[in-house]
Amino acid sequence: MSRKHLKRYFEILELDSDASLPEIKNAYVRLNRLYSTDSMVMTPIADEFSKKKRQEVLRQIEEAYTKLNEELKDEHQRATSLGKPGIASENGAEGEEVESASFSGDVLKQIREKRGIHLYEVALDTKIRVEILENIEHEKFDALPQEVYLKGHVSNYARYLSLDPRKVADDYINRYKAWKAET
Amino acid sequence: MEKSRAEKEGKIWAIGGGKGGTGKTFVTSAMGTYLAGKGKRVVLIDVDIGGANLHSFLGIDRPKKSLTDFFETGASLNKLAVKTGVDNMFLITGDIHSLASDSIKFTQKLKLFRHIMKLNKHYVIIDLGDGSHNNTIDTFLMADKRIVILEPEITSVENMYHFIKNALFRKLRMSLREYGFKEIVEQMWEKRQEYKIKSLRELMDCIRDSFSYVGDIIDKELSDFKLYLILNKIRSSDDILIGSSMKSIFKKYLCVDTRFVGFVEYDDSVWRSVRERRPFMLNYSLSRSAKEVEVFTENLLKGKEIKLSRN
Repeated sequence: MSRKHLKRYFEILELDSDASLPEIKNAYVRLNRLYSTDSMVMTPIADEFSKKKRQEVLRQIEEAYTKLNEELKDEHQRATSLGKPGIASENGAEGEEVESASFSGDVLKQIREKRGIHLYEVALDTKIRVEILENIEHEKFDALPQEVYLKGHVSNYARYLSLDPRKVADDYINRYKAWKAET
Repeated sequence: MEKSRAEKEGKIWAIGGGKGGTGKTFVTSAMGTYLAGKGKRVVLIDVDIGGANLHSFLGIDRPKKSLTDFFETGASLNKLAVKTGVDNMFLITGDIHSLASDSIKFTQKLKLFRHIMKLNKHYVIIDLGDGSHNNTIDTFLMADKRIVILEPEITSVENMYHFIKNALFRKLRMSLREYGFKEIVEQMWEKRQEYKIKSLRELMDCIRDSFSYVGDIIDKELSDFKLYLILNKIRSSDDILIGSSMKSIFKKYLCVDTRFVGFVEYDDSVWRSVRERRPFMLNYSLSRSAKEVEVFTENLLKGKEIKLSRN
């Protein structure tokens, strides 16, 4: 479907016109929050950027989101059948590759980097501290929290990467146990 | 092909942003070191009025000759450029006295830029220093790439608005003058009470309404006025959102396009590096922050934004 006639709405949500529905939703939530609250970036220009103008911006954001949602519903249905929103991978090949891998910290790192996701973003969404994520990736087992917590972190991280949380966590914890047995 | 185009279009990079201490000098030195490491010929120019100390970030002594010699005795820029200890990278330093206040005329600045453009270098990176002084703004406006450094703090946000608004105001005024509409901006601004103009945005809208024939010029200037934003010293993942928020407000409020090219997290090894008198990018090349510098420099080269999955 051509998205040309929707260009304006994508612009309002500050997205490229090939954005996916989850991306549209993210942008909507983010912008909505930005213009409806007094965030740090807004305070210095609060008296210039009046409430009234912000209302107008909010209205446009709302309109853009509603419109895009209506128009792209079909695409959305196809997208959701493909996997988790947000980081739905561009091609299926990635999934196959992932299946065969064993989930060492390094593999997790590679998968993340391949998808162009920064550790900070993982931290933002999973609420796991960057340092911990980094230690997970580098398998600095001695710096990591106890097994039960670690397992939770790893499966959250795996879920974020659209991997099977249980499989990844089991695999990872086995490596952790092997290390522990050695020390 | 693509490379040569990018280089032609974006040879001169200016680093500004208003507030002192946000890391302009760090970013300048780190970016330069990285580009030089890629085999590019780089010259850094330090025009920080308050305190030119780019040399300290590179671990070298303050160069004896400065831009004063260019302005006063016509010394060539090539003569002023000193080696930095990083292969392919040179440094030209400004001078506190000559660059202070209004001692440099606009024509002199144009001359300096002509000479800068003629330098046989791939990239010229200018560290502007603090403040929103006209000298700083003019240099910022003349650059091919206008880069601003933001720290996730309210004071930095405040100063950045101030800086950008000043730059935009000056740009509009100058270009309308170029097109022969000499006093429009000034006149409108004087009558701001009457027209109830409280901000730059309202001023632009008002000019557009009153003089429809300059609307196109304003639009063109705005679309040319592209910014590149780097977030420095972030301490939590939430801080990244501040970059996206600034970008949004610049667009929705000032109609300015911004590319949020990347961020660097707060890192003690930056000042440690200065103390050790070694360029950060060589000293801590494997650190996360060094990687982050690489990411945003690459994004600057390609004119791309940082890829954030949650935009």
